Amino acid sequence: MALSVVVLLALFFVLLLINVPISFCIGIATVATLLINVDFETAVSTVSQRMVGGIDSFALLAIPFFILSGLIMGRGGIARRLIECAMALIGALPGGLALVNVVSCMLFGAISGSAVAATSAIGSFMVPQMESKGYSRDFSAAVTAAAATTGMLIPPSNILIIYAIASGGVSIAALFVAGYLPGILLGLALMLVCAIYAKVKGYPVGDRLQWSQVLPKVGAALPSLLLIVVVIGGIIGGIFTATEAGAVAVIYALVLSMVFYKEVKPSQLPGILLKAVETTAIVMFLIACSSAMSWLLSFEQIPQAISQALVTLSDNPIVILLIINLVLIVVGAFLDMTPAVLIFTPIFLPVAESLGMSPLHFGIMIVLNLSIGLCSPPVGSVLFVGCAVANTTIERLLKPLLPLYIAMFAVLMLVTYVPAISEALPRWMGL
Amino acid sequence: HQESKVTVLRMAHTLDSKHVVHQSMEYMAQRLELYSGGQMRLMIYPNGQLGTERELVELLQIGSLAMTKVSASTLEGFVPQMQLFSIPYVFKDRDQFWRVLDSDIGQNLLAQTRPAHLIGLGYYDAGSRSFYSSKGFIQSPADIKGKKIRVLNSPTAVKMINTMGGAATPIAWGELYAALQQGVVDGAENNPPSYYLSHHYEVAPYYSLDEHSFVPDVILASQKVWDSLNPQQQKWLRQAVDDSIVFEKNLWQKASDDAIKAVEAKGVEVIRPDKAPFIAAVKPIHDSFKGTAVGRLLERIKTM
Amino acid sequence: MKLLTQMLDLALKWVLIAAMAAIVLVVSWQVLSRYVLQSPSSNTEEMARFLLIWVGMLGAAYSYRMKAHLGLSLLTDRLGPVQGRRADALVHLCVLLFAGAVMVAGGYHLMSLTLELKQVSAAMGIEMGWVYSVVPLSGLLMMFYACEHLLTRRAG
Ligand code: NA
Ligand code: NA
Repeated sequence: MALSVVVLLALFFVLLLINVPISFCIGIATVATLLINVDFETAVSTVSQRMVGGIDSFALLAIPFFILSGLIMGRGGIARRLIECAMALIGALPGGLALVNVVSCMLFGAISGSAVAATSAIGSFMVPQMESKGYSRDFSAAVTAAAATTGMLIPPSNILIIYAIASGGVSIAALFVAGYLPGILLGLALMLVCAIYAKVKGYPVGDRLQWSQVLPKVGAALPSLLLIVVVIGGIIGGIFTATEAGAVAVIYALVLSMVFYKEVKPSQLPGILLKAVETTAIVMFLIACSSAMSWLLSFEQIPQAISQALVTLSDNPIVILLIINLVLIVVGAFLDMTPAVLIFTPIFLPVAESLGMSPLHFGIMIVLNLSIGLCSPPVGSVLFVGCAVANTTIERLLKPLLPLYIAMFAVLMLVTYVPAISEALPRWMGL
Repeated sequence: HQESKVTVLRMAHTLDSKHVVHQSMEYMAQRLELYSGGQMRLMIYPNGQLGTERELVELLQIGSLAMTKVSASTLEGFVPQMQLFSIPYVFKDRDQFWRVLDSDIGQNLLAQTRPAHLIGLGYYDAGSRSFYSSKGFIQSPADIKGKKIRVLNSPTAVKMINTMGGAATPIAWGELYAALQQGVVDGAENNPPSYYLSHHYEVAPYYSLDEHSFVPDVILASQKVWDSLNPQQQKWLRQAVDDSIVFEKNLWQKASDDAIKAVEAKGVEVIRPDKAPFIAAVKPIHDSFKGTAVGRLLERIKTM
Repeated sequence: MKLLTQMLDLALKWVLIAAMAAIVLVVSWQVLSRYVLQSPSSNTEEMARFLLIWVGMLGAAYSYRMKAHLGLSLLTDRLGPVQGRRADALVHLCVLLFAGAVMVAGGYHLMSLTLELKQVSAAMGIEMGWVYSVVPLSGLLMMFYACEHLLTRRAG
């Protein structure tokens, strides 16, 4: 087993460093490790069978659907209406535009499953807006990147679906409901930092609007926000499964942006579908290769070995959870969220469960933890998109990001050690 | 370096490590170690960590896994005649069921796994499947009418519900608790230990022991791995499997009785409805097999 | 070579667009059939799953073609032009190797094994081998795109 671990790790990191796409790093390292004990034909057939087995899941179908609906919403004027609604409601508070940015990201996150979609949809509109009112561009981009991660926890969320699969069947409906409180808590913490930051820097306060000006803006965003009721209400109410909810979200977003807002034309549909295929396939291929790897980990009984090692390191649950969190933060710096969840859930979940943590609670913790990695260098897809829409560099974003990281870490600790934040809501709803 | 002389066989299944099946496999591992004097070892992977039942059969065919236990209904996709067990009311009771399994019929069915590169080593008892519902007792087929019932994803099981006038709804086992609770489906069917261990009695507290089908579990070995063992090793393995089958059969009956007592203690009412109307309702299904290989088996079983 | 690549790109693109649209329609139909027609369709679930496998696998070849898979360019960004090109060639060789060994050889073995043993799917009863055929197919496409990349790079 020791030899297997060395081969697996060494090959994975060498391939990763020469910029081999990460799914191929995982796949090659897996098949090479399997070849130590098994003949060639058996090894390659097993890996290909596990790849298909990993994506042969009805629950996973939700992911292309939420990717597709996110794309349609990004182009269909839905993001703009959400921002105008947030602006009308809280634009007049200290650091108003920064707060609007956070709230817009949360609202967008509440109807879409992807943080990258939120960053580009909200950021491309909000960053110029904030800059024109005197905010620094780097701060504006940093706020967008950090706030976009709230959509990972606030349902619908693709990564929570991936976790449900990786954990071996935690209820998606329960995970979705569990994400609300931590997601909102994260948003509030970021808003607090924004308000203090704006006070210190002396950023301007927006104009207070009359109710007659506020209401039409809220009204215009209402059909978009109704999607929350349709999708999440449908899942919780047992009208349809998460996967079917995804299909409903696609149809809803299509009707809204094509018939209602008339901002998407039928001729644009093939392009949108193809873009969705590309993103979907990247995720599916990652899941395929990762499930081959997690099969190998089980086959070699590596998770058991790691959890034994962790337990000998300390027998204090608080310390072990801290170690797990710190390892995940380092992992999140280098790995994108999806592979990180796929690789580390089978390793750490058994440890967490032996400490009495529920798989539901662990799922919220790992997703929140890796959300920090999503907007941290060197590898972070949200960070990259944030830089791209604001036309700035990662180095310049780091300074304004620092206080936001601290807020995120504080929320992470709270969520780690207070199970009720994740578990109370789903338990109350009987999920 | 004594270690390398030990032949390690890996066996995977999809049930929890508290399940009777897992305990019986652990007994199999003990017996194998005993018979072989420590030269053979069985490593057991529970909880579906190496794949679903269908995928485990494929891994046996590929040869990366040595053994597994799958439901006979899973094997329908590989050995068409296994659909015999999914047909409702093939067996009168548990005694007849085991008489058939121990007869040449059961042994022939096991041998039919051979062309699929599998070695059928024997059957585990998986009890009889009965209906449970969240909306009152299912006392006769009339109570199925208009209800959405979760069944296994097999054409025969779907046909059974549809013949009784219900709507067969395939839902993954792991999602069933929520589906029953939220009313996506009105009922399901399974054996007493599964009904108890899955906590489905909390959301579907009406259990009717109509015993519509007896679907055994089948113990399989990979032909590729089997052929790599010498005759002596094969003999030890067969002996260990046979011992664990006896062990499982006793354990199962006890677990089944205990499960019914346990759900009754939780306030669930368990009834034993008259089977005659059910048997009459599924007659068209039996008739549809006339003239086929499965139909001939049905005829023979009736006389046993 | 160039013409072949263009034709392949176009075909792959439209197959993927059609498959993605089909998934949306199939699952929407599943919801509809359960509520409007009161008769849940047991085939749609399986059909949607198999379509997703095809979109995932074929789409992976398409995404490789579009250079859209995630990687870590931290180190390679700092290399000079000559070393950079060597590292790039190494990357595509790795893809070629994986696609050839696991997806084409392994996937073909899996496909032919399931076809030969006549394994059928639970609900629709279609042969699983045809579902699996997407693995070697996608592997062949990846090998083609990897070779094309390596060859045109040398020419250019
Ligand atoms: Na979301
Ligand atoms: Na990162």
